[in-house]
Amino acid sequence: MRDTKRRLTLQVALPLVGVIIGVLLIVGPFIAGLARSLMLWVGEDPQFSLANFAWLFTDRRIHQAALNSLICGFGAMSLSLMLGTSLAWIVSRTDVPGRELFKTLNLIPFFFSPYVGAIGWIFLVAPYSGLMQTSIGSFTGESIEGPNIYSLAGVIWILSLFYTPYVYLFVISPLQRMDAAFEDAARVHGASFWTTIRLITLPLLQPGLLSAALIVFVTSAGLFDVPLALTATKGIRTMPTEVFALVRYPSDLGRAAAFGILVTVITIALTLWQRAHLSKRRYEIVSGKGYKPRVTEIRGAARVLALTVEIVFLTTSVVLPVLALILVALSPLWTGRSNPSNATLANFSYVLFDYSLTRQAILNSLFLAVTGATLGVTISGLQSYYLQRGRGRFKGLVDALLALPLGIPGIVLSLFFLIFAIRTPLYGTLAILLIAYVARFFPFATRTISAMLSAIHPELEESARANGASWTQTMRHILLPLLRPALIAAWIMLFIIFIRELGASILLYASGTETISIAMLLLSENSVGYVAALALIQLVLLLGGFTLFRLTKVSAIQ
Amino acid sequence: MIRQGAPDSFVTIRNVTKKFGAYTALDDLTFSVREGGTLALLGPSGCGKTTMLRCLAGLETPERGFISIAGKTVFDSAAGVNLNPEDRGLGVVFQSYAVWPHMSVIDNVAFPLRVRGVSAPERRKRAMEILDIVGLAGFAERSATQLSGGQQQRVAVARALVHSPSLVLFDEALSNLDAALREQMRLELKGLQDKLGFTALYVTHDQGEALGLAETIVLMNVGRIDTSGSARDVFMSHQTSFAARFFGLNVLEGAPRRKAFIAFQREHAQLRTPGAPTDNGIVLPGIVRTRSFQGLVDEYAIDLDQGALIRALDGSTGFEPGVRVDVVVDEHNLFLLDR
Ligand SMILES: Nc1ncnc2c1ncn2[C@@H]1O[C@H](COP(=O)(O)OP(=O)(O)OP(=O)(O)O)[C@@H](O)[C@H]1O
Ligand SMILES: [Mg+2]
Repeated sequence: MRDTKRRLTLQVALPLVGVIIGVLLIVGPFIAGLARSLMLWVGEDPQFSLANFAWLFTDRRIHQAALNSLICGFGAMSLSLMLGTSLAWIVSRTDVPGRELFKTLNLIPFFFSPYVGAIGWIFLVAPYSGLMQTSIGSFTGESIEGPNIYSLAGVIWILSLFYTPYVYLFVISPLQRMDAAFEDAARVHGASFWTTIRLITLPLLQPGLLSAALIVFVTSAGLFDVPLALTATKGIRTMPTEVFALVRYPSDLGRAAAFGILVTVITIALTLWQRAHLSKRRYEIVSGKGYKPRVTEIRGAARVLALTVEIVFLTTSVVLPVLALILVALSPLWTGRSNPSNATLANFSYVLFDYSLTRQAILNSLFLAVTGATLGVTISGLQSYYLQRGRGRFKGLVDALLALPLGIPGIVLSLFFLIFAIRTPLYGTLAILLIAYVARFFPFATRTISAMLSAIHPELEESARANGASWTQTMRHILLPLLRPALIAAWIMLFIIFIRELGASILLYASGTETISIAMLLLSENSVGYVAALALIQLVLLLGGFTLFRLTKVSAIQ
Repeated sequence: MIRQGAPDSFVTIRNVTKKFGAYTALDDLTFSVREGGTLALLGPSGCGKTTMLRCLAGLETPERGFISIAGKTVFDSAAGVNLNPEDRGLGVVFQSYAVWPHMSVIDNVAFPLRVRGVSAPERRKRAMEILDIVGLAGFAERSATQLSGGQQQRVAVARALVHSPSLVLFDEALSNLDAALREQMRLELKGLQDKLGFTALYVTHDQGEALGLAETIVLMNVGRIDTSGSARDVFMSHQTSFAARFFGLNVLEGAPRRKAFIAFQREHAQLRTPGAPTDNGIVLPGIVRTRSFQGLVDEYAIDLDQGALIRALDGSTGFEPGVRVDVVVDEHNLFLLDR
């Protein structure tokens, strides 16, 4: 009797531990940030004050940065909504040749790093010295300025390319599963092809489109690395680069914290609004009977157009930037022109073996990615068990709370962690980076694992219990094996995110704890060859993750 | 305008062939419907009924053939004519109803008028009229997701009729409804057709539905027309073994007078103790496999000595499973079939 009681406690306690860690990881830094934003130092003594917030609303620089972030967010959102929906429609609803292959290829930018993409594009089209300009120039003999990548338009372009797969992922499954009769009914009752898209297809996709739009908007507006690479040196700041500036030159953590708190509150409000809106319009677009996936036969100009959209997207998001990186990485000295006869692997061997900064950075990134993914999946697994199997009274609340970091910009969270850790021994260690990474990204893993757990019928576990297995045995022999595909997928996703992460690291790294992305940033001023080599090494790691991901997805279906 | 096809034919389908890859879903189909008439495409699941309806609506493009509706050629492979679905002026009730979940009931029903550019007040008026006819006037502002299956179907019917199309297609219009509702809906559809005067084409796998709704029946068998004619003829005359089987008759291979098949109704199979004398009919010896109570009569499944399994309805005698019996069918109750 006593024995069952003890196991029962473990069954309740263990998932609860995961939940408590998650809540602490979210609430802790937020409180630290909030406290700091409400403090003002007068001599030695901190005092309560709203001055930091008052300053936010009056400072022109902040207004400009906020406006620029809104422009980036809206720009990237609009472009990737259009592009992502078109791509999803092309591969799921037309008979365009090679659409099965495109279905996979379209996801690659999702795994690439926008920061690396931005660097690749700088090599491609930097004014006068980009590969495009020099290769056209070598024909015409003129020096060409070309498009200005160092602008908000440049930022929007890069963000759109890399966030298009988000939209794509959100709409492709409803597009594939939608009962074709909805559209057929519109056509036979007098609506043209385009009217049907406008009045039926898009409105039916609205829940997915709205979720995607919000994610892309919030992520784009809060992404640190692309504006840093493209516009920071030109004096154009967005919200995250402004936070960075507030922390660094000159350091004013109070004002930075106030800005961060404001951004966090807005993000949370947006997320809650979206949740409320979606719960009102939850309807099923898959009706059982008469369902047949409907494929539009496209011929002639339409077919050429569809293929062009696909190819331009893949070329501009993946092929061209990677090609530029390879050319730069293979050149001993980059002059804007590549000379195949000089090609050398010297940059790679230098960053991999000789240069202590980059060598250490690669090791650090690998350590953070592997440890972070393992920790993240562990606490997410426990949280998922609590959310799907637990009997807690506050499950709804916990669910909403644990999802909050999804939208909070990495740099804001790392600012809160900085404030939290600055006077502790944690400061300047890999551990604080690790904690910040896990805190910012565990909700992704919780989503994935929770979704799969909700699809596993509890009777499978109950029957094991009924047959005499203890809770621990049931977990080991029944639930964990069943959950394995989701656990692996979540692990790989976290690994990929951590390998490329910059926004959550930038305020927390110290000498000796640099990551790959930090090293690229530090070297970007003067050693583009090393940067390109590092970027490619990072891409290889990401591509490895992508390949594993595709493989496990297959096994998850089987 | 030259009318092609039979003189009084309103819908003409000639030599329509549709393939999905190597599979021929429709094989050289030809039939017609008169103006104001009702035709049922009947056949077992997968025989191509929905495919035929979709070709008619322009949702599927046949490889070959000719289709005209109300004197207008909508498809002609020889002349390269293929009108878009929206230009064929039809009303269609889909198997899954396809009532749009993001619109209210009245918006669903008014949709055909909206895309035809009818003004908002006018289309509201007409949509309310038709909703009134199908008995959903009180539901106009409801979201379509808040309706029961039967109500959704009425919405689908109202939407298919609101723009007064001359031809309305129904795909398994009644099969998702329970028996009582189905009977009620069947009567209502007939009433609607009398009132509005459209030509109707019903697709169904249910013989009762086809007989109750249509004056003409086209019975399909894997992409081909097996039998067609007036509902009464098709149901009573049993010209082929496929039709006989489809309508639930017992069909046996090899028969007297050089015919390929004989067929007879379950009711006409009488059971006798082996060896008992019979005056006029064929005798088929066999063993009772099962007996199930069916109200006034018992239904038997009997393994005939010649190898076939038949069913018989018989109320007078009690034979237990495993017992030998003679199945006796009167000469005048036998159908002798060539194919
Ligand atoms: N888009 C398609 N691609 C390939 N095969 C198809 C397609 N549509 C229909 N078929 C095939 O054509 C045949 C006829 O299908 P259809 O839907 O017309 O049958 P049906 O008579 O309406 O059946 P049911 O009574 O089950 O609705 C089936 O064998 C089906 O598998
Ligand atoms: Mg069908």
